[in-house]
Amino acid sequence: MERQRARHGLGLARDFLLTIIIWTYYIISFFVFFSFLYAFRLVFAKNREFSFQRVNAFFFRTFFRVLAILLPRVSWHIGHDVKAIRSSVIIANHLSFLDPILLVSLFPRQKTIVKSRYFAMPVFGWILKRSGYIPAFTHGEDTDILLEQVAKMRQYLSAGGNLFIFPEGTRSRTGKLGTFDKGAFRIARQCGAPLTILSIKGTGNLYPPDSFLFKTGEDMEISVEVVKTIVPDQENGFESISAMIAEAKSALSDRMNLP
Amino acid sequence: MTRKEIREHILQIFQKEFEIENPDLDDNLREKHEFDSIDAVELLLQIEKMLGSELTQEEKKQAMDIRTINHICDYVETMAKARGIDVSRD
Repeated sequence: MERQRARHGLGLARDFLLTIIIWTYYIISFFVFFSFLYAFRLVFAKNREFSFQRVNAFFFRTFFRVLAILLPRVSWHIGHDVKAIRSSVIIANHLSFLDPILLVSLFPRQKTIVKSRYFAMPVFGWILKRSGYIPAFTHGEDTDILLEQVAKMRQYLSAGGNLFIFPEGTRSRTGKLGTFDKGAFRIARQCGAPLTILSIKGTGNLYPPDSFLFKTGEDMEISVEVVKTIVPDQENGFESISAMIAEAKSALSDRMNLP
Repeated sequence: MTRKEIREHILQIFQKEFEIENPDLDDNLREKHEFDSIDAVELLLQIEKMLGSELTQEEKKQAMDIRTINHICDYVETMAKARGIDVSRD
């Protein structure tokens, strides 16, 4: 009993220490290196939005490399067909804070819908705006951003950009799928873009919702896989939004072995 | 164009584009039918088609705070009048 308690205490201490190292790296690498990269791109890049998206991808790719070094018991499986996705509206299940930054790290041209309150944050909000990300709910200045970004979306997608959205809107605490918002499906239909469905597994075990600590002491696997791509019929467009949602949800449930 | 025609057209759009059938004219669309900002942008495209002209950025911004079908009808009526389209009451 005593030994078990001591082992648990040691595990917690290791989680705490590694979590501090990971987030310290995150903050320091941003201020020491990446902030200058953003500033450089701000001044010299021809297409600032694309340039900022590439820096975002680079920043988080580096972050996940460091994570892989610090947490060797975690195995990462990202399908090659995932990295090859272009010109798509992408939807995925949502388990952890790591999900959006993992998807940012996988696509050089990426946009997403972000909670509006983040747009008001110093530095972070500025990067979101410069990267062409979209506020989830709009009022005041956010309305301008939303209207501008939606107007440009068809062109952005046809130029090879991806828009990824977590249609559940929030992280699942049970592993089950929640209700899907219509936004991603509507944008795909409006723009005549393919809708790619991804399954994300394991991130909720590594960095669970409502926890500050990474779980560092267990063998675990994190994977991102393409479940299905729904391609719009050029003649007739997509089927109805509710039919698309039902199709996507059923395909994702099957892949994740959910009831 | 009459107010009744505007209302019927808007209800048709809600049925066809948003799969919302016979909403109450004073329903809060966001709360009762999960009508979000992306839906609002789609609605603006439909209103532009209906009016036969593009809305300005300022006019679009005004629409983002609309919450009910009655508000949408008021908005369309105002936009139509601003374009010189005669709108008579039912």
